Amino acid sequence: MSVYEHTYRPYAGPLTSPRSRILVLARYGMAEAWSSKITIALFVLCLLPLLTFLVGIYIANNPLAQMAILKGSKMLAIDASYFLKILTTQSWLALILCSWVAPRLVSFDLSDNALPIVLSHPISRVGYVAGKFLALFSALSVVTWIPALLLFAFECYSSPQPWFFANLRIAFGLLAGSLIWLCFLSLLGLAISAWVKWRVVATGAIFAALFVPAGVGGVVSAVLSTKWGFLFNMPYLIATLWERLLGAENPRMIGAFGPLPTAAILLVLLLTCALFIAMLNARIRAREVVKG
Amino acid sequence: MGVIDLDALEVRFGTRTILNGLTGSLEGHAIGLLGPNGAGKSTLINTLLGFHQPSSGAARVFGMDAYRDRAAIRGAVGYMPENDSFIGNMSGVHFVRYMAELAGLPPRPALERAHEALFYVGLGEVRYRKISTYSLGMKQLIKLAQALAHGPRLLILDEPTNGLDPIARQRMIQLIKDIRKQGSVRILISSHLLRDIDEVCDEVLILKGGRIAALNNIEAERRSNRSFVELETVGATERFAVSIRGLGCECVTFPDGRIKLVIPDQVEARDLYQVAFEQGVQIRRMNQRRDSLEDIFLRAMESEIARPPLVRL
Repeated sequence: MSVYEHTYRPYAGPLTSPRSRILVLARYGMAEAWSSKITIALFVLCLLPLLTFLVGIYIANNPLAQMAILKGSKMLAIDASYFLKILTTQSWLALILCSWVAPRLVSFDLSDNALPIVLSHPISRVGYVAGKFLALFSALSVVTWIPALLLFAFECYSSPQPWFFANLRIAFGLLAGSLIWLCFLSLLGLAISAWVKWRVVATGAIFAALFVPAGVGGVVSAVLSTKWGFLFNMPYLIATLWERLLGAENPRMIGAFGPLPTAAILLVLLLTCALFIAMLNARIRAREVVKG
Repeated sequence: MGVIDLDALEVRFGTRTILNGLTGSLEGHAIGLLGPNGAGKSTLINTLLGFHQPSSGAARVFGMDAYRDRAAIRGAVGYMPENDSFIGNMSGVHFVRYMAELAGLPPRPALERAHEALFYVGLGEVRYRKISTYSLGMKQLIKLAQALAHGPRLLILDEPTNGLDPIARQRMIQLIKDIRKQGSVRILISSHLLRDIDEVCDEVLILKGGRIAALNNIEAERRSNRSFVELETVGATERFAVSIRGLGCECVTFPDGRIKLVIPDQVEARDLYQVAFEQGVQIRRMNQRRDSLEDIFLRAMESEIARPPLVRL
C-alpha cells in the first residue's frame, strides 16, 4: 500500500519472534489500562502508604528523630511484623487496583467481539491470556513487592546494626507472599472480567468473588464448629500464609481447633487458580462451538 | 499444490457433522465460497484458521496443515470476520497497528502500514476517530484494513459486503478487485450473494449440508458455455431467423416475434443488428446472458430443493 498512490504492496520487511507477540498484548493492555485517569489516581493512592512506611523506617533508624517524635520510646520496631503490615496494606490496595484494571484489559475485547480478529493472528489463546496476565501482574507489582523490597533495602542501608543477613527471610517472604497473591489476583481479575462484560459489574464481582465465599466459610465454621470452613476465606488464608512466610509472631488460631495447615492453604490456592484458568479456557475462544 | 487443499476433511461438533468429507484443491486467485445458511462456510473458514480441529481428514493452506501449523498459517493470512469484531475504544490507526504488530510486524513498520492500509481502504480521514463512532460501512472497511496491514498471502473475507448500502458495497467489491489485480494476494470470499462472487472470483466452491456441491472454475465455465440471447422483434421474423442461422446461430422462433438463439463466439450482437437492418426487422429488445454463476449454483442446489408435501384440507 502507499498513502500517495493508494495501491496495495505486500510487506517484505523483518518479523518479530512469535514469543514477543505476548509482549505486544501486554504493552497494549498496559496502555489501555493507564489511559484512564482513575487508574492513575488509584496508583497514586496505592503509593501513599509507602511514604508513611518510609518515614517510619527513617524515624526508627534516626536517633534524633526518635528522640524528637517518639520521645525515646521503643514503640517503632522495624521487624517482620512491620514488613507484614507493609505487605498487607499494599496487597489489599493492589486488590482495588486490580478490580479497576483487569476489566479494562479484557472486557473491551469481549464486549466488541474482538477475539475472532485477535486470535486469527499468530497468537494462541494461552498467549493471549499470558499477555493480559503479564500486563496486570506488572501493574500490580509496581505497588506491591517492588516498593516493599525497596523499603527492605532502605532498612538494610539505614540500620546501624548488620541487618540484612539476619532478616533475609523477610525479603524472601515479601517476594514469595506478593508473587503468590499477585498470581491469584491476576487470574481472579482476568477470569471474572472474561465472564462479565460490563466493567463496573466486573469490578464489583471481583470483590464479591473474594468476600462472599469468606462469609459462607465463616457460617460453615460457626455451624459445624470446624476450622475447615475457613478454607473458603481467602483473605484469612492469604494473611496466614504471609505471616508464616515472613516469620511474623502470633500465628492465627481458630477457636480451639488450631491453625490451618500450610499445605491445605496452598492446595486451596492452587485449586482456586485452576478454577480461574478453567474459566478463562471456557471463555477466551475465537468461536463459540455449540456441541450436540 | 493449491492455495487450499482439502483431503476428506470432516469436522464434527459433538454428534453433529458440520463438514463431511470435503475433498478438493482450490487454486484460483479469488475463490468464492458459496452455500445456503448452515452449509458449513464459516466452519470451513474457522477450520482453515485452525480454530477447529478436524475430526478426520485434513485441510492445508499453502501446503501447511491447518491445525498443526496454525500459527504459521495465521501469520500468512488476513482474516476479515463476518460479524462486528474490533476494539471500539481504540482509534482506527491504533487498532490496525495493534493487529499488524500481533501479526509480527515491528512497531514502526506496523504504524506505517496501518496508516497506508487505512488510506488504501478509504478511512484515511477518520483514522484517529474511535472505532465505536464509525458507521457500519466504516467498520467493515477497518476489518479489511487490519486484514491487509501485515501483507498477507491469503485474504479470507467472510461476508465482506454484509449490511452495506449499494455504494459502499460497490466500493468494497472494487477494493477486492484491485487487491486481486495486484496479484500477490490470494482471496477466499465467503458470501451468500452470488453477485459478489460472480464479480470478483475465478473459482467457486459451493457447499451444501457440509458437503461439496460443486467446485468450478468460473472463468473456464464461462468460456466453455455458450451465450444465450432472447430477442423481441417486429417484422419478418421467420426470414430474419433464416438469415441469422446463416451466421451459425441456432434459433427458435415464437409466434409473438420472440426469438431464442444461441450465438457462437465469433458472432457479436452488432452482427444481429446488421442482419435485422438488412431484413427490415426491428429489434425491440435483446436479452443476452451467459451461463451464469446463478445457473451453476442452482444446478448444485437442485437436489436440495425438495417438493413440499401435499396438504389436504
